[in-house]
Amino acid sequence: MKLRFQGVKFMVGVGLLYGGLALYDSDKTLQALQKSGMVLMEILAIFSVVVFISAAIHYYIDSRSLAKHLGEESGLKGWLIALGAGVLSHGPMYAWYPMIRDLREHGAGDGRVAAFFYARAIKVPLLPIMVEYFGLAFTIVLTIYILLSAWIQGLIMDRIDWIAEDREP
Amino acid sequence: MSERRRRPATYRQALKRAALSLVAMMPTVLGVVGLVGIFQVFITKEMLASLFTKEPIRDTVVGTLAGGIAVGNALVSYILGGKLLEQGVSLYAVTAFVLAWVTLGVVQLPLEAQMLGVRFTIARNLLALIFTMLTAILTVQTLGVLG
Repeated sequence: MKLRFQGVKFMVGVGLLYGGLALYDSDKTLQALQKSGMVLMEILAIFSVVVFISAAIHYYIDSRSLAKHLGEESGLKGWLIALGAGVLSHGPMYAWYPMIRDLREHGAGDGRVAAFFYARAIKVPLLPIMVEYFGLAFTIVLTIYILLSAWIQGLIMDRIDWIAEDREP
Repeated sequence: MSERRRRPATYRQALKRAALSLVAMMPTVLGVVGLVGIFQVFITKEMLASLFTKEPIRDTVVGTLAGGIAVGNALVSYILGGKLLEQGVSLYAVTAFVLAWVTLGVVQLPLEAQMLGVRFTIARNLLALIFTMLTAILTVQTLGVLG
């Protein structure tokens, strides 16, 4: 596989932004750099897991069987898997992009992917803290509406044909 | 059919391919991570709190947009949301803010577009934006009905 880096101009642009900000406030820019370093460590930890999952998707999973479980025709089971995976997934959303890309290439439907992303709004470990700040009724009602919203967004995404055009041929 | 889509002969080969694929996207990841650091430090909690005017409809839109720009652990959004409520900002706005914090992300848009496609990214984020406001409104209305 030929290695072709993506987003080099974007990275250089962000680097230049750091340069400009350093002239404006060097202390804060250094803090930003330190924060970025911490985020990068977190991402790399998730990526190390993602590499194994992606490899398993490519090697073990056949596109037809994955489409059966997560494709547009996967029915209620597909929605439950997508919503459950979204609720249980941790870390920043962008750490999961490579795995999601692989799943889409193997037949996962756009609707299930969108539902997965929106269901990530439910942070199980933080639910007690949400109850503490906003109350039990608020937490329960919001959680139910998040799941419903995720599902409805998924249904809409599956009906937007325009999206399918930018999938790889 | 792309090279990546062809089934690798061994798991080791699949692993190598997956690792190289991640390495290839590292410039974008580094750019996004760099932006996350900038947003976390330069966009302070005080700046975000100052955007609210205590006018519910306007604040719901502001909450959604501010939450979409902000980055960091969801816990921070709860703490900030709690403070905003104490200051008299409406629950509509605070709910939209807390929800947008975890469902929208301006900073990660370039990476999402690169990985999942521009059209998918536009459609998903527009839907998430609309549904975040709707969910906030429905949540508060439901709580009102429940008393």
